[in-house]
Amino acid sequence: MLKLFKLFNNKRLFIMLITLVLFIVVMGFSLGPRKVLSWPESFLRDTTGFVQKMFYKPAGYVAGLFEDIGNLKDLAKENEELKILAAQYARDKATYNFIEAQYKLLQKQVHFTAAQKAQYDYEYWTVQVVGESTEPNNSSIVIDRGSNEGVKLNMPVISDKGLVGIVSRVSKFTATVKPLTMMDPNDPNSQPPIAATATNKETKSFGMVESYDLKTGRLLMKRIPPGDPIKEGDTVVSSGSGGLYPRGLIIGTVDSVDIGEYGLTSTAIINPAAGFQDWKLLTVVASHQESEE
Amino acid sequence: MNMRRSVLILLLFLLFILQGTVLPWLIPDIWQMRIIPNLVLVAILFVTVYHHRHTALLLGLSFGMLQDVVFYGRILGSHSFTMGLSAYLIGLIFQLPRAPLPLMMSVVLLGSLLADSMLFGIYTVFNLNQEPYSWALLNHMLPTMLVHFAIALLFYVPLRKQLELIKKEAAKEENA
Repeated sequence: MLKLFKLFNNKRLFIMLITLVLFIVVMGFSLGPRKVLSWPESFLRDTTGFVQKMFYKPAGYVAGLFEDIGNLKDLAKENEELKILAAQYARDKATYNFIEAQYKLLQKQVHFTAAQKAQYDYEYWTVQVVGESTEPNNSSIVIDRGSNEGVKLNMPVISDKGLVGIVSRVSKFTATVKPLTMMDPNDPNSQPPIAATATNKETKSFGMVESYDLKTGRLLMKRIPPGDPIKEGDTVVSSGSGGLYPRGLIIGTVDSVDIGEYGLTSTAIINPAAGFQDWKLLTVVASHQESEE
Repeated sequence: MNMRRSVLILLLFLLFILQGTVLPWLIPDIWQMRIIPNLVLVAILFVTVYHHRHTALLLGLSFGMLQDVVFYGRILGSHSFTMGLSAYLIGLIFQLPRAPLPLMMSVVLLGSLLADSMLFGIYTVFNLNQEPYSWALLNHMLPTMLVHFAIALLFYVPLRKQLELIKKEAAKEENA
């Protein structure tokens, strides 16, 4: 050690080297999926999150006020559309209730296990956004619900438009959401690909949404088998197969379907339903099957 | 002296909070991924020019770490490293307590480009980034630089005053 000091003959250089090594170690160590954060991290995140909450909400209200003034003229038209939608929804709800009742009955008759029954039984938790960072390579949204209230890694987070991202880090009272724009097959710790299908073709269509193209702002749905009926304009939803993601989360609409890289499968280019924007409220989807990898 | 210094640190913390909460509402959604303002970095660049590079290094390391931990998406330590090092390097070259406004503005432009490029480098090394540098430069570094320039213009008068007061008090303490 002394010899080393003599070799450098300069304390500052030595300190710099040690710091550099330390930083590389910390970066490498923090890359992986970590179920539990250390207590200093947790403490720092939760206290900052608390302060952020006090700022984010009022700012959102003020910004929302201006937006509302801008939207005033479209209000009547929107209201009309919503009324029609609400009527449709009421009809569908009645039909849905009948179908659900029958489904439960049939489940009973073929002796479903408890696990099978709970498979598609999701809980929806509304959470507040308290802050966001929008770097292209490392964006994240901070929400005000953490492990104390049951949030776990890899839980999907949705907005009213569709899938926003998945929970990537959890501390006691806050959690960080990794948006879909971070999906990257080259990154070993990226969120796992989402098994997806097209609405009204649920049984016939299949693909994996696995990467996001920063340049075009589109998601890529790969590995679509030949003869798949998916086409332009279809709405893509998560299919729930594989059990990691709940089913029925809206991902986006298909822009175009091309032949994939090896010519065997096709690739659909998807316009994300929930692009990156400022959300006030998000919803965490919790399934009873623990989706932890 | 300690009073002023803690005021400065509180101010930086406030800037950090604003940057994560209020700024996203001010920036139009379409530009969100293109303009990534880092208020704290701008303030730290002021500290490194008008005060001392060592203070700036420490502030950069700690506030970078705060940013990393709070917005922990994929990697820890990247912001800490870039903010600390870029502030220190800029301080090595430009530590001029009497720097006029135009010089300070160019320092902000340079420092912001340096920090963004370092971040880009770190992400590329850890395989978190697949885009070429030229695209990143045009897509978000240059717009961010312009925004930092505007922010620095806003900060110039109050921040410089604060820093000079800190300097004066430090000098008084030394004389006493």
